[in-house]
Amino acid sequence: MTNLSASPTSIDPVTASVIQGALQNIAIEMGYKLMRMSYSSIIRESEDFGTALTDATGNQLAESVQSTPLQSGPIPGYVQNVIKVFSERGVSFKPGDVIMHNDPYGGASHGPDIALIVPVFYDDQLIGFSGTTAHHLDVGALSPGSCGIVDAIDVYAEGLQFKAIKVYDGGVRNEAVWQILKDNVRAPGMVVGDMEAQVAACQIGADRFIDLVERYGLKAVNDASEALMDYSERLMRQAISDVPDGVYHATTCIDGFLDDPDRRDLPLAVTITITGDEMLVDLTGTAPQVSDRPINMPLIGTVDISIWLTIRSVLLDSDIYGYIPQNSGLTRPIKLHVPRGCLANPIFPAPVIARFTPGNQLADTVMKALAEAVPEQVSAGIGNLKVIAFSGLKEESHWVHMEIFEGSYGGRFNRNGMDAVDTLYANTRNNPIEDIESHLPMRVTRYELREDTSGAGRTRGGLGACRAFQFLEPGGFSVEGEGHRFAPWGFRGGNDGQTAELHLIHADGKSEALTSKVPYHTTEIGDTFFAIGPSAGGYGDPAERDPKDILEDVLDELISPDAAERDYGVVIRNGKIDDEATKKLRSA
Amino acid sequence: MRLIGVDVGGTFTDVVFFDADTNTTLTHKTPTTPQNPSLGVMNGINELCRRFSIDRKTINHIYHGTTTATNTMLEHDGAECGMITNEGYRDIIHIGRHQRPQHFSIQQEIPWQDRPLVKRRWRKTVAHRITPPSGDVLTPLDEDGVRDIAAHFKENNIRSIAICFLFAFLDPSHEHRARDLVLEVYPDAFVTCSSDVSPQFREFERFTTTAINAFIGPKVRDYVTMLEESIAKEGYGADLHIMGSNGGLATSSMVAERPVLTILSGPAAGVMGGAWSGGQSGRHSLITFDVGGTSADIGIIQNGQFAEASPRDTWIAGFPLMVPMIDIHTIGAGGGSIAFKDKGGAFKVGPRSAGARPGPACYGFGGDLPTVTDANLVLGRLDPDNFLGGEMKLDLAASTKVIDNLANELGMERHACAEGITTIVNSAMANAIRSRTVQRGLDPREFSLMAFGGGGPLQACEVAALLAIPEVIVPPHPGITSAIGLLTTDIKYDAIRTAFQVSGQVDHQRVETMFHDMESQLAHQFDADNIPQDHVRFMRYADIRYVGQGYELRVKIESDHFDEAAESALFSQFEDQHQTEYGRSFPDSPKEIVNVRVSGIGVSTKLEKQDKPLADQKDDALLKTTECVFRMGAELITAPTHIYDRSKMPAGSEWEGPAIILQQDTTTVVRPGDRFRIDDNGNMLISINI
Repeated sequence: MTNLSASPTSIDPVTASVIQGALQNIAIEMGYKLMRMSYSSIIRESEDFGTALTDATGNQLAESVQSTPLQSGPIPGYVQNVIKVFSERGVSFKPGDVIMHNDPYGGASHGPDIALIVPVFYDDQLIGFSGTTAHHLDVGALSPGSCGIVDAIDVYAEGLQFKAIKVYDGGVRNEAVWQILKDNVRAPGMVVGDMEAQVAACQIGADRFIDLVERYGLKAVNDASEALMDYSERLMRQAISDVPDGVYHATTCIDGFLDDPDRRDLPLAVTITITGDEMLVDLTGTAPQVSDRPINMPLIGTVDISIWLTIRSVLLDSDIYGYIPQNSGLTRPIKLHVPRGCLANPIFPAPVIARFTPGNQLADTVMKALAEAVPEQVSAGIGNLKVIAFSGLKEESHWVHMEIFEGSYGGRFNRNGMDAVDTLYANTRNNPIEDIESHLPMRVTRYELREDTSGAGRTRGGLGACRAFQFLEPGGFSVEGEGHRFAPWGFRGGNDGQTAELHLIHADGKSEALTSKVPYHTTEIGDTFFAIGPSAGGYGDPAERDPKDILEDVLDELISPDAAERDYGVVIRNGKIDDEATKKLRSA
Repeated sequence: MRLIGVDVGGTFTDVVFFDADTNTTLTHKTPTTPQNPSLGVMNGINELCRRFSIDRKTINHIYHGTTTATNTMLEHDGAECGMITNEGYRDIIHIGRHQRPQHFSIQQEIPWQDRPLVKRRWRKTVAHRITPPSGDVLTPLDEDGVRDIAAHFKENNIRSIAICFLFAFLDPSHEHRARDLVLEVYPDAFVTCSSDVSPQFREFERFTTTAINAFIGPKVRDYVTMLEESIAKEGYGADLHIMGSNGGLATSSMVAERPVLTILSGPAAGVMGGAWSGGQSGRHSLITFDVGGTSADIGIIQNGQFAEASPRDTWIAGFPLMVPMIDIHTIGAGGGSIAFKDKGGAFKVGPRSAGARPGPACYGFGGDLPTVTDANLVLGRLDPDNFLGGEMKLDLAASTKVIDNLANELGMERHACAEGITTIVNSAMANAIRSRTVQRGLDPREFSLMAFGGGGPLQACEVAALLAIPEVIVPPHPGITSAIGLLTTDIKYDAIRTAFQVSGQVDHQRVETMFHDMESQLAHQFDADNIPQDHVRFMRYADIRYVGQGYELRVKIESDHFDEAAESALFSQFEDQHQTEYGRSFPDSPKEIVNVRVSGIGVSTKLEKQDKPLADQKDDALLKTTECVFRMGAELITAPTHIYDRSKMPAGSEWEGPAIILQQDTTTVVRPGDRFRIDDNGNMLISINI
């Protein structure tokens, strides 16, 4: 139920509202069906997929609300690059085409996030695109799974590249391409099944889009879409205007490869300049690209999305503003400047497949820069994430299972940080233990909060989670993650949080500590992969935290009585606040 | 046989009496008593009996739709609960699926973290673990540990206790043993086991469902017990049944034990009532459209059967819930929904509602924001002198003022603004219906729109036109459809087991045993409810997906013995349903039976016939003619519109729009070009001009 007045187009506000509601509804239906039809848990449970409709030039009209932001957001970039490549090749779009694309130097977020795109025709005229992206289990990289490929030396080592390939040409299936695909990925049944689901979802989107145009006419649909983009733009400009003009800067660091002195402790720098209703985001000062390790971030598809999503989450927080339609209008007032050859704008063929957690660290850095300008709208530093591929071989075929390990949010102006959740540009789901153990030779032996670790503050940082996976058959894993070296930042006097850890505990009880990036590593029966998630930073002076709230945390065993005394100056004995001792300690 | 149905709504408690021997139906309304709804319930029943001189002793059954469970969740004022769970997994209900409810928000709340159903301090763990596929014991239950926890809870007066063990759906015996141990130590405890409430996989959702039962349990149990005592004390011969979210009745003792079954009690009764009223006119494909002050509830009836919600789509107060429920799609759009211009200049309606107080501006209780009801009044679609049968005068000037304010802000003309409010709200309702029909492979043109609640008949014709639905039905008493629904259903219990059986390797014997066990369990329950065996029937279902998928489709099993033939029929039915629902099927892919289910129906006495219209000639029906605004395509027109009194419209009479039909509990708006008639069964059938 949305639309606008005062639009430069001629459309009346009521019709605009009706059409916008319908567009949104289409993208939601696409997402709903993709999620329900797909096979791999990374799509159906983790919800690591996106759906969107764009206009004929690739401007986003609507995206699904249930998918992860890092998937829906990039779809316009995929579409725009496909249009460009087709025009360079002299290839035209035809009804019945389905196009596959995953070129990280051509709008794709990274190689495993494969888009399937259907051009939409009405009366022989190309009127838009119906697109879906999804994270696929395996794209034929050097080791099983499509994450934790942290030793890829260039994009060729990351797996198959599809650069605007018609997998259906005018309705005819290109069998050769599908066969090449099946022959070159592990778990081909799952991968192809998920792609089929993507195609089906795109076609549903295209059909509904045509129905909508038939109902209201092409002009009204175009006008409504334009009005919607103007509306989003206006909201963003207004929100930027509310931020005091100025230059705001922040730097954080990623681990990189902690066992490699040349490729560790890499800075991400963000300078935000606010001038009236416009914003410039400049990443000058960010570390140079790592040319032979895949932690570089594609500028279009990862870096841009990370920046935009953080800005909208802070300035147009949906908890306060309600749901705001995601479309290209929202990003018009924001300009990016990212030096070529840095981590956030790598040069082909530098590898990028493990860009997920650096990208989320960039989002955290953007929030940190904004924190100076709008301190009540941010959280203290977040705990970053990890992605793990577990795999094994059973009678000549692979099983692959991917899990995203949660982080946590820093304390907020009015609330504690969120415990054990995905952070910033990621918002996937974990897999039920009862599903994993019923279908894979693995056992989840622990899943709990990491007690007594949150950054102290007037509001405390969120706690990370402890999660352990035991192998019941020989197999392997690979890891891409962040946050082992630099603790999430405290804010306005709040304490820093705690770094993450990773351990491989062998059946005999011996344990080895792992870094945040682990290339494919084999395991034996009984080996346990134990991840300790990061706990986030505190917000505000811990001494200002109400002793009653601290007592609650102690009773809930989120913090220990020792920490209450040490970090907060609150003495708790036998489940009660010792007022006198507290008074003494807090005034000391 | 004499029955009473009593439904508690936000403003009124509705009572319907039915005498099966004389086929008499009587109705009564009394104000709801929000502090203690059972007072309103007793007032309503007592008043009805007094008013119509009915002997209290002669009532056989009282059927009740309650909001106690829902409100306890919405207001978050349930019991202080404890939980006993496996060592190593204390925070399953706190971490959830590690997903934030909103993508684009830093400041958001996470319901299960910010207002937990069980505080962490009362989530206690014991050594215990079983493993799939068959529930082998990896770590035996630490029985002393359970006793210690029970003693600790007792000491701290934590009376409601959830027992949640991983994989309990494979073998409930360990949870049951823990329950017995708790009760030995703490006999007064209210214990809920996850394997009893929802024996299916997905631990966060199952544990949360269990915790919800624990949270609302004592309150609902006390409510039901109190009501039952009042009924007996005040001289009624009746027993008490409560409407469940699954569209069936349950005994009061069942509800006292599993209150979580009643979360959608009232709305479910509405869908049942709508389905029954449509059935009276031979309509068995219906979209029920129940519009109140703050929300619209939409249900789908096919071949007289309602759709059941996917267990992964059911939520209450932000918490997931895995129990069988009618698929009721609720959107925040109703008569009280507020229209406004947002920060970006957009024209929006809802979901914020003025509710009953202060309510729309025209109520005169101090509301100063424009609502859908104000828009309808300005457009001439509501009669200020005949709202709620004339019980309440509406203030047209107040509505005009608030609509004008918004029109000025938006730069629109008064009527265009008012009509815009209704069109925006109607298209939101149409989108909601589309999501349950077109998006599920159903063609809305093959359905009738069954409109009820105070606001359904006001909006229904325009909503139907947006979806090309050819017919709108307005029952004789649209305001008490839920109370009527209570008298149109059977006793219904469900059982479920997770099976995980893959095509080609299905263990038929094992599956048949599961079905058989569930049927015995339900038969036992019906027996305990004194329902004769020949009144009981069972229906078997399976939840199926392609191997690897995460969402199942529910498929009905026609045969009563599960063998190879039944399996192959089942999978082929699944392929068809997948094709319908998603537009695709993958016949070569292996399929998996995830859950098996049984629904048991205990047939009970029901309402038979709807009230026939009493009027015998058309002439008195026309009250007056007034000017009303309608949208015709892109144009707004003002048309002279007849205003009728429904009670004066005889059976068989035919009429034309534009028209407004007034009755005690609602107003129906018929557009220019639509035609309508009153049928012999009391329904008003409106043919939509598409």
